[in-house]
Amino acid sequence: MKIFKTFLFAISFMSLLMGCVNLGHVTNFSKTSIEALQTYGNLSQSFTSVCTQDCELKHISNYNVYKTKCECGGNVKADSITNAIYRATVEYLHGLMAVSDKTSAKFETADLTNTLATGNYGPIKLNSEDVASYSKLTSLILRAYSGIRSRKKINSYVTEGHEPFQHLLYFLEFNLSQNLNGKLEVQKKSIQNFYFDFVHDTHLSSYERTKFAEDYFEKKATIERHQNELKLFGDLVNEVKEGHKLLLQNLDQLTDEEVKNNLAKTAQKLALGARIISQLK
Amino acid sequence: MANLTSEQVKELADNLLRMTNALGDFRYENYSKLNPQENKRLKELHNNLLEQTTELYTKSAVLVLDDAEESLNKVKVITAKTQELYSNLDNIQKGINWATKILGMASAILSLNTESIAASIKSIIS
Repeated sequence: MKIFKTFLFAISFMSLLMGCVNLGHVTNFSKTSIEALQTYGNLSQSFTSVCTQDCELKHISNYNVYKTKCECGGNVKADSITNAIYRATVEYLHGLMAVSDKTSAKFETADLTNTLATGNYGPIKLNSEDVASYSKLTSLILRAYSGIRSRKKINSYVTEGHEPFQHLLYFLEFNLSQNLNGKLEVQKKSIQNFYFDFVHDTHLSSYERTKFAEDYFEKKATIERHQNELKLFGDLVNEVKEGHKLLLQNLDQLTDEEVKNNLAKTAQKLALGARIISQLK
Repeated sequence: MANLTSEQVKELADNLLRMTNALGDFRYENYSKLNPQENKRLKELHNNLLEQTTELYTKSAVLVLDDAEESLNKVKVITAKTQELYSNLDNIQKGINWATKILGMASAILSLNTESIAASIKSIIS
C-alpha cells in the first residue's frame, strides 16, 4: 500500500511538472531588460542639470556671481514626464517577470498610479493617447499581481501590454536620445561661442589663450561623453522594444528552441549594454 | 496652421540649431573683419538663438500637439537659405538683419502660437 501511494504521488508530481511550462527565458529577458533600463539612473545628465549648467555659463559670461537663480521650471517638468514614463516601463517588465516566474518577488507598485495619470504639469497638455498608453499599462501591471498565474495570463499580458509599452519606450528614447541630446548639442555650441573670443583675444598672453583653448576641449569632450551615454541608453531601449516584439510574435511557441535562443541573445546584448553604461560613469 | 506634435517641435529645434550654427560659423570665420560692435551684436544674437533652441528641445519633451506639415516644410526652406546666406555673405549688416529675423521666428516658435509662427515665416519668406 505504501509503495502504491508513493507511486501515485510520483505520477501526480510528474503530471504537474509536465503541465508547467518552463518560461525561464522570458523571466531572464524581463530581468535583463529591467537591469538595462535601470541604467537610466546612471545617466549623468537630465533636462534640469543641463538647464542649470547653461544658466551658470550665462552668469559666468556676464561676470556675475550675485543673484544667480536659474529658471528651469520647464526642464523640471520634462524630467518628471521622462521619469514617469521610465517607471511605467520598468514596472511593466516587473509584471512580465511575475507572470512568467512563479517564484518572482512582489514589487512595489504604489507610486505607479500617482504619476502621469494625475496630469499635474501646470499648463502642459499631454496628448490623450499618451496618457491612455500610460494608464492602460498601469492597470495591466496591477492585474498581473493578482489572481493565479497561468500560460494564458502571459499571453494576455504581453498582447495587451505590447502597444502601450512600445509607445512609452518610444517616448523614453525620444526624450533622452533626441531632445536631451539636442540640448547637449546646443550646450557644446554655447561653450564654443563663449571660449572663441578669449582664445582669439591678442591682449591676453599666449599661456592664457592656450589655457582657454584647453578648457574648451575638455568641456567639449565631457559633453560628448554624456551624449554617448544617451546614445547607448537609446540603443538599449530599442533592444528592449525589439525583444518584446519577438515575444509577442512567438507567444504560441515560447518553448521553441529558436525563440529561446533569440530571447537569450537579446538578454545578453542588454546585459552587456547595461554593463558598459554602468562603467562609463 | 494646425498644432504641432512633439516630433515636429523637435524637428523645428534641429532646424533652428542648423541656422544658429550657420550664424556662429559666420562670426568665427569673419572674426578678423568684424568691428567690435558687429562682433558683439553677432555674438549676442548667436547666444539668444542658442537659448531659444535649447528651450525648444525642452518643449518637445513635454508637449504633444497636432499637425503642421506645411509650415515645417517652409522652415526647412528657411534653414537651407540661412546656411547658404552665411556661407557666401559679404555684407555684415545683411547678416545681422537676417539673424534678427530668425530670432523673431524662434520666439514665435517658442510661444507655440501657430498663427504667430505662420506670420513670422511669411515675413521671412516674402
